[in-house]
Amino acid sequence: MEFIYYFGEVFTPISMLLLIGGTIGGLILGATPGLSPTMAVALLIPFTFHLTPVHGLILLGAAYTSTVAGGAVSAILLKIPGAPANIATTLDGHTMAQKGEGAKALQLSFISSLIGGVFGVLLLIFLTPVLAQWALAFGPSHLFWLAILGVTVIGSLESNSVVKGLLSGCIGMWLATIGFDDMLGVKRFVFHSSLGGGVNIIPALIGLFAIPQVITMFSKGRYDTSVEQIKVKKHPIGAAFKEVISRKMSLMIGTITGSIIGLIPGVGGQIAGLVAYDQSKKFSPEKAKFGTGHSEGVIAAESANNAMVGPSLVPLLTLSIPGSPTAAVLLGGLLIHGIFPGTDLFDNHPDVAWPFINSMLIGQILMCVFGIYIASFAARVAQVPQSVMAATVLGLALFGSYAVQQSMGDVYVMAVLGTMMYFLERFGFSAAPLVLGLILGPIAEANFVQGSMIAGATDGAFTYFFTGGLNIFLIAIAILSIGYSAWSELSTRKESA
Amino acid sequence: MKKLIAALAVSLMGLIGTAVAGDYPERPVLMMVSYGAGGATDFQARIVTMTAGNEDALGMPIAIINKPGAGGRVGWNWFATEAEKDGYTLAAYNIPHVVAQSIKGGVDYSTDSFEPIANWGADPAVFVVGKDSPMNSMADVVAFAKENPGKLTFSGAGLFVGHHIAALQIEKAAGVKMAYIPTKGGGAAAMKAVIAGDVMGGVNNLSDAFRAASAGNIKILGVADLERNEFLPDVPTMKEQGLDVDNASVNFRGVMVPKGTPQEVIDKLAATVPEMFKNARVAKRMKAGGSPMHIMTREEVQAMWAARQATLEELLKGL
Amino acid sequence: MNYLQHRISSGVIALVATWVCWISYTQKPAEAFLFPRVIATLFFVLAVWTFIKALLGRSKVGNGLSIEATKNMLPGIGIAFIYIFFAAKGLGFYLSSTIAFFLLLSFYDPAPNSEPKTWMKRVIITAGFIAIMYALFAVVLKVYTPRGVFM
Repeated sequence: MEFIYYFGEVFTPISMLLLIGGTIGGLILGATPGLSPTMAVALLIPFTFHLTPVHGLILLGAAYTSTVAGGAVSAILLKIPGAPANIATTLDGHTMAQKGEGAKALQLSFISSLIGGVFGVLLLIFLTPVLAQWALAFGPSHLFWLAILGVTVIGSLESNSVVKGLLSGCIGMWLATIGFDDMLGVKRFVFHSSLGGGVNIIPALIGLFAIPQVITMFSKGRYDTSVEQIKVKKHPIGAAFKEVISRKMSLMIGTITGSIIGLIPGVGGQIAGLVAYDQSKKFSPEKAKFGTGHSEGVIAAESANNAMVGPSLVPLLTLSIPGSPTAAVLLGGLLIHGIFPGTDLFDNHPDVAWPFINSMLIGQILMCVFGIYIASFAARVAQVPQSVMAATVLGLALFGSYAVQQSMGDVYVMAVLGTMMYFLERFGFSAAPLVLGLILGPIAEANFVQGSMIAGATDGAFTYFFTGGLNIFLIAIAILSIGYSAWSELSTRKESA
Repeated sequence: MKKLIAALAVSLMGLIGTAVAGDYPERPVLMMVSYGAGGATDFQARIVTMTAGNEDALGMPIAIINKPGAGGRVGWNWFATEAEKDGYTLAAYNIPHVVAQSIKGGVDYSTDSFEPIANWGADPAVFVVGKDSPMNSMADVVAFAKENPGKLTFSGAGLFVGHHIAALQIEKAAGVKMAYIPTKGGGAAAMKAVIAGDVMGGVNNLSDAFRAASAGNIKILGVADLERNEFLPDVPTMKEQGLDVDNASVNFRGVMVPKGTPQEVIDKLAATVPEMFKNARVAKRMKAGGSPMHIMTREEVQAMWAARQATLEELLKGL
Repeated sequence: MNYLQHRISSGVIALVATWVCWISYTQKPAEAFLFPRVIATLFFVLAVWTFIKALLGRSKVGNGLSIEATKNMLPGIGIAFIYIFFAAKGLGFYLSSTIAFFLLLSFYDPAPNSEPKTWMKRVIITAGFIAIMYALFAVVLKVYTPRGVFM
């Protein structure tokens, strides 16, 4: 309960100002395509040079939580996920926005983010020592199986054809091997100099999601949207709260999945949303509605995203190991002030550690308030004429993909992948499984190679990969997940036949 | 109309003017770091460049961009082949990484592709084991490796980087075979493997190990440098423990430009950048972060690069 | 017509898969291509499966492309192609974005071209877009984008 004594620090005028500034700034940065939470936090580090450690960290904490939630804004309104974490949000969120229910989608997403996020930070406050052990339990073999488990999610993302889903996943995994191989440093599939750096995930996300939309809008020609003007419906906030509460199952699945997966160093943040979406679809009585603008999809994905924020800092704050790129940047923010995360942090600098954690708690609430405040206004994006929208998204795609590494190579990769994706979509493929492959491929490969090296020096590959409780548990879930997808596809086929 | 033409002429002259390096720099300068945001190199690069905007330094801020991947190869390859040679694109170098990777081959750069400007830090590699490990000195490590050839797993941040060089030197000096496990994700991932017990030991950056050791998660058994380090006065060097390992694996970090950058720009940078690193605020932040500083001028760095080239060619011959 | 398109598209994918497989199994060093081989094999099997399904006329999903849609998208794709691959670097991000944005609006905005009001509107929207992009990327985020002719 120690953290309560340090709430005072959060409510001083300067801290509040930083919190509010960090939250609003974070929402805007998060909603900008091409700016992942990691980059947003890195951009803010120089500002903390001039602040005391407490104030600096309050700013960073608020920005981190709100950028993660802000990514949902562009995912819902523009169908461009701000970061890998928001991919699952596009599936139902954008469909809702197209139906004029953007306000509802945004409200649901912010409320679920709040609930998931607060739960995650509370876990961080109360269960840190236990969670730290769990985070360390995942060695290379477990991470490999976790990546394979992630691939099985494809069955849920691609409802039309599992084969095409898997094929998209393979294309994604192959794209991920382009560039220098991370372990041996060998060039693979580099047929053009802009591919030297490989396919960077953020430009790829922008290309795969934004460009097909732009081309689709082009393909409608001089199309007058006012003929079938989308009616943007107002949505009362009370109703949004009721909706979230009534979808207890998805909220719970999202929050718990997000917290557990968020802990695992190196994997967590990117796939938490997708895994939560998959699980909540499997447990939902209204499976068929997923992907058609169903509120459960948004709730599960967004509660998982923000639930991951707190636990993802556990390895950093207790063991001084940054478990995610964003945590690595936060580590820099701490070190610059001479604060070493680890036991030292809570023993010698409780006046920094607790206000930082508390600021994330308050930050979540502020984020939700501002988010809901802008929701009904922002939802009008759906009414922007097609011509303006196409040109805007194209411009944003250029600037966003360039900003990641200030590299024209990334821009070209974005454009080529995007154009390819348009044609793939016309023939029944979809972007989400492809991106999943792109994310999971490198994780699977690195951990497989590393695991086999360790196995080669110790007990051999079979013992290393196939024995031990956690390995068997993960393999079992993966098999169950595949079996379930196959079974449900077969049974729907019978029904329709 | 005349006015318009005059204005155009003036602005054209302005354009030509920028090509002459006299007023360099007149806009913000980029510095490419070939490791991810938050890594040790990125962290230090951000600190040592934070005073660049001061009038006594460059007078223009330096913005950091990250191009991580494959132990730095992605970034340096880009820097050697695609970066503009106008002095507005700098890069951080890590020696011995650049040298070792160019000797190993498969990349489009070597030390000849770059012009060093100045060095800011030297981070020696250290050998670490988990806090519960029975091994308490390098002698224990060597003894275990002798009894179980090829079975002692130890992590490091990749192949043909400083950690790998240290690993090779230790193996060679002790005459043993161990299992070096490169990790993806830099020193932090290698450290995680040690703390979590995925591997039995590891080679890591002194700065990161110092932090992990003060948090009580690991033990540091030896420093791969010629002398003990100020941050770890109690940890003996490899030499003191009877292993003939010199400072070839020490991770020197500094600033460079691509070959072909105008000489005036190089001279200006070589004169101002070391002074910029000496700033008291920089020193304070670096010390607070546990990062050892080691400022060297352009001439000193050129000599160091040449020396590393010779040592590493010898060491990596058989690989 | 749609079946033909499905056959062609899945055939192209199968060709790409074959080529990826070929590279993965012939490039050295073999250990670096271990994982690509596994992926490529899977890719190949699935691509061939899809292709056979398309040949049998059993691929039911996906709408394919109509001639109408293709005609409509060509000018847009043309502008976008020149914009992204050439103009962005050659003319600088802001100038090229201004031109591309305005051209795209003029092509795809259904408002009558004969009225001056339409053009005014287009100019204002373009200016607004560029102003926002400049404020966000150049002022707030300090991203140094290529300046092209305006060094």
